Amino acid sequence: MSKIVYRYFFDFADGQEKWLNSMAECGFRLKKCGKISYIFDECQPNEYEYAVEYVGHKAYSQAKDYRGYLESMGFRTFTKNMNLNYSYGKVKLRPYASGMGRIAASPGGYNKELLILEKKRDGKSFELHTDLADKLDIYRWIKRAYTWAVLMILLLGTMTFIPNTSPISDIMILTVRVLLLIAGGLLLIPLIKYSSLIKCLKDEGKIYE
Amino acid sequence: MEAIIIRDNIKGGALTETTFLVLLAVYKPNHGYGIMQFIDKKTDGRVVLGAGTLYGAINALVKKKWIVPYGDEFNGKKKEYVITDIGKQKTEEELQRIGEILKLASTIIIGGKSGE
Repeated sequence: MSKIVYRYFFDFADGQEKWLNSMAECGFRLKKCGKISYIFDECQPNEYEYAVEYVGHKAYSQAKDYRGYLESMGFRTFTKNMNLNYSYGKVKLRPYASGMGRIAASPGGYNKELLILEKKRDGKSFELHTDLADKLDIYRWIKRAYTWAVLMILLLGTMTFIPNTSPISDIMILTVRVLLLIAGGLLLIPLIKYSSLIKCLKDEGKIYE
Repeated sequence: MEAIIIRDNIKGGALTETTFLVLLAVYKPNHGYGIMQFIDKKTDGRVVLGAGTLYGAINALVKKKWIVPYGDEFNGKKKEYVITDIGKQKTEEELQRIGEILKLASTIIIGGKSGE
């Protein structure tokens, strides 16, 4: 029997991964995922485990190649959006990415910033990045995505203080400010978390590989 | 941009353990999963490479031409890689460097104990 769950994750990497693994522990295997929806099939508890990989900084061709490689390693893959949509139509600007990854279109890397990976639980660790330099690299890209999101919210918040820019009422402006403040705060938490992880890894990197 | 994982000390020319082990794993043509298995087995599980880290290492080594894709990429087979002459030269240099470090460490650590 299928189960549909609706979720949005401000901590799109670790937070989502933990939740998917907790669902697997309860006997639910991911079947399909939409923008904020997840469809699960029933399975044996702890039969599968999940990892969430950020690929939003890669150009579509690189992300596609990476996905193919991961599938060749025996993982089942799903693409997922991380919902930082500075977009118009089916083209999205990703200022936090590198090279051609800065523009995502559909068909292409549009709303496919994340890869959800599934493997059968075999007692071995499901860690995708095991090298300090590699971990640092991926955390830096995730931090960059959050930094841009927080900056965009700050910019929008600042715009509400410019007089006579909008015909909307004062109450509406106040509501917008409160919503932006909440969203900014929720995005700031993972930003601080990944910044602190980067600092820890840098310190480790002075001694270990 | 992939993480630069070739050297852990530019001046000393030391390779990272990941790089060195990946190079050793492709002395015979090997694919991604095979490389992971080789490293896991040969290090008795001390080093278990993550798939993401291995992908970055393979791409960095291909870019440097220390390893190259081997055979047909698309024949329903997994993509294989094999070490090049430059790659072999780098592993030999690394072996020599490790030998020197081992000699130095043995002299100080074991020599120090026998002198106690």
